[in-house]
Amino acid sequence: MTIMTDTPASAPASPPKMSVRNLDFHYGKFHALKDINLDIPGNQVTAFIGPSGCGKSTLLRAFNRMFELYPDQRATGEILLDGENLLTSKQDVALIRARIGMVFQKPTPFPMSIFDNIAFGVKLFEKLSQVDLEERVEWALKKAALWDEVKEKLFQGGASLSGGQQQRLCIARCIAIRPELLLFDEPCSALDPISTARIEELIAELKKDYTVVIVTHNMQQAARVSDYTAYMYLGDLVEFGETEQMFFKPNRRETEDYITGRFG
Amino acid sequence: MSEKHLSSQFDSDLNSVSSQLMEMGGLVETQIQRAMQALAIFSVTLADEVIQVEDRVDGMEVAIDRALTSTVARRQPAARDLRLLLAVSKITTNLERAGDEAQKIARKVKSIVENGEARDMPIGDLRLSADLASSLVRRSLDAFARLDVAAAISIVKEDDLIDREFKGFTRKLITYMVEDPRTISESLDLLFIAKAVERIGDHAKNIAEYVIYITWGMDVRHRPLAEVEAALRENQADDGPS
Amino acid sequence: MNGPARPDPKLRAAFFARRKWMNRVALALSLVAMIFGVFWLMWILWETLWLGFGGLSLTLFTQSTPPPNDAGGLANALFGSFMMVALATLVGAPIGVLSGVYLAEYHPRGWLAVTVRFVNDLLLSAPSIVIGLFVYAVIVIRFRQFSGWAGAAALSLIVIPVVIRTTENMLALIPSSLREAAYALGAPKWKVIVHVTLNAARAGVVTGILLAVARISGETAPLLFTALNNQFWTSGLSGPTANLPVTIFQFAMSPYENWQQLAWVGVFLITLAVLGLNILARLLSRHK
Repeated sequence: MTIMTDTPASAPASPPKMSVRNLDFHYGKFHALKDINLDIPGNQVTAFIGPSGCGKSTLLRAFNRMFELYPDQRATGEILLDGENLLTSKQDVALIRARIGMVFQKPTPFPMSIFDNIAFGVKLFEKLSQVDLEERVEWALKKAALWDEVKEKLFQGGASLSGGQQQRLCIARCIAIRPELLLFDEPCSALDPISTARIEELIAELKKDYTVVIVTHNMQQAARVSDYTAYMYLGDLVEFGETEQMFFKPNRRETEDYITGRFG
Repeated sequence: MSEKHLSSQFDSDLNSVSSQLMEMGGLVETQIQRAMQALAIFSVTLADEVIQVEDRVDGMEVAIDRALTSTVARRQPAARDLRLLLAVSKITTNLERAGDEAQKIARKVKSIVENGEARDMPIGDLRLSADLASSLVRRSLDAFARLDVAAAISIVKEDDLIDREFKGFTRKLITYMVEDPRTISESLDLLFIAKAVERIGDHAKNIAEYVIYITWGMDVRHRPLAEVEAALRENQADDGPS
Repeated sequence: MNGPARPDPKLRAAFFARRKWMNRVALALSLVAMIFGVFWLMWILWETLWLGFGGLSLTLFTQSTPPPNDAGGLANALFGSFMMVALATLVGAPIGVLSGVYLAEYHPRGWLAVTVRFVNDLLLSAPSIVIGLFVYAVIVIRFRQFSGWAGAAALSLIVIPVVIRTTENMLALIPSSLREAAYALGAPKWKVIVHVTLNAARAGVVTGILLAVARISGETAPLLFTALNNQFWTSGLSGPTANLPVTIFQFAMSPYENWQQLAWVGVFLITLAVLGLNILARLLSRHK
């Protein structure tokens, strides 16, 4: 009856921070991503959803060339960050990863103090005085909404924190390097609902300064945190659009079946 | 809904929906008052204003519904958040209908003025119940804003008063018509307006019932008032639901 | 369709009673087996304590091994053993840790790794006497001289495979997500290994080294062919070197009572050292 006239079209209005062009991905002989084309808008949260094995994590791990750790994985096509193709051998992987931070499914505090957990990454790329380094660590912890909980115990081991705190420590570790893009690979799947809500709130906060991409198997989480949502299935990008539109009236029947639980 | 959610976005969504609803309520309230004023002084200009405001009310209804859909789709509200959003959806419908009734009154006033009909009809009683109806709308929105169940219950009670007034007024009009069949045409117009006022009161009552629904999660529609009041006393005894 | 019929409660109870009874029998049998094992162990410990404890004295650490029927201590044997074990550990542990790192972190599936792992397994299970004979053939015969150096070399050949194996296993236990997280920050490989993976596996690796030390401090066979033994105090390792295990062997086999007594004290000291190392290793692996 009513037509939503003032909803923007599904193509993001702002210029894309990252563009994926004709991306194919193989695990050995298995064709895991098939000709993916996608524009990720800057300073927005983009979520990848889809059933297990649909390629959403694979796509995320292509962005920072994480797959190169494993010998028989390869990506062809283009991944452009601000127009620069990341998939060429000219690009230094370490420098790419300094621009694109990643937070993993399980919290991964390094076996060192909370302070060193954050300083470790910073020292890889910058030569800071002790004072500047301390300032940076404090800044990152504040940004990750963890400072108040750990300021008294910066020199205790990172493993002494709770799961949710560890995950925020990992986020602080990422943003301390001052990346442009943050990738979250199912960041809450090991956390309880309260910690999850904290991380989600943090993600909403982070999008002011960063472009965020999150992979989640929790559709509701995608609905809550993201501005744009991509639905993937069996290595194909089925639909990509504004989250509100995707959860109100997706264009594709497959998407609707998935998000309404009629899948399978 | 004073306690905050972990998600501040959710909080701001809910707050914005509530304040939009209050704004819409304010519009409808002015509509009703203007309509009655138009009737009192037989002003076509005022009546036209009422009719114009209707578009804005309709627009707000659509906007609030959209905000509700988006919030439900993205937040999967539960418990009192869910009740709040469901109730807001129904309250907007009631407000919009109340606005429609005001518009009907305005149109009727226009036609009375344009037909140059006699103006010595008993509109004083009508104004009284119209004032009551309009205040019920305002108070039902106040009750919503404060989630004040006691206020909501008294609104439900006072609506009965309007209903009785309506019956009395109908009888009065019948007397007029019996006495002087030339007044039948005007009397029917006034009856029509009185019915609209009575309907506005009903909408206010519905809104009040949704306030009870939000706070208690109890659906009090179509239930005897005595039962609801008993429940109120019981709830007050154990300090009421949070 | 109600599925299989629910069994009669009485039958079910009878069946369950039988199972409980079987459970008791199994428990009793395993208890007996445990007592049997612990009994002998306790006996060994008791005998060692009983016979060794009486001979403990300060002269043990100040005087060298005596001639038959004379007073003396074990100072030269203790010192020689300590030197050789320390040297073997200093040489063997780094080689072992580095090889373990290569196997776990660099090319775990490469042909070199597969070969090294296979050879290492062989070395790990090789009888220590074989290693002794090998060092005898390669070093002792070539230099025409038994020496502490050769002894240390033989011991380090025992240390290396143990440390390689534990290091590799401990590193393999580190979840790959931790590695990925470090790489995701843009860290180079060596930094990831030194600061993250090896650091996380530190307790396990140190435990492995301690267990290797515990193992070589009691080895006799490889020393028989390499360091031989020496009745006198020597400060260097270039000649035959006194050491505890071989001294124990010789003294225990001798007809002289004071030698036999010293052998028991030596056994006591070795047992104590190995016990201490094992406890230390346990504590380390518990406090992650």
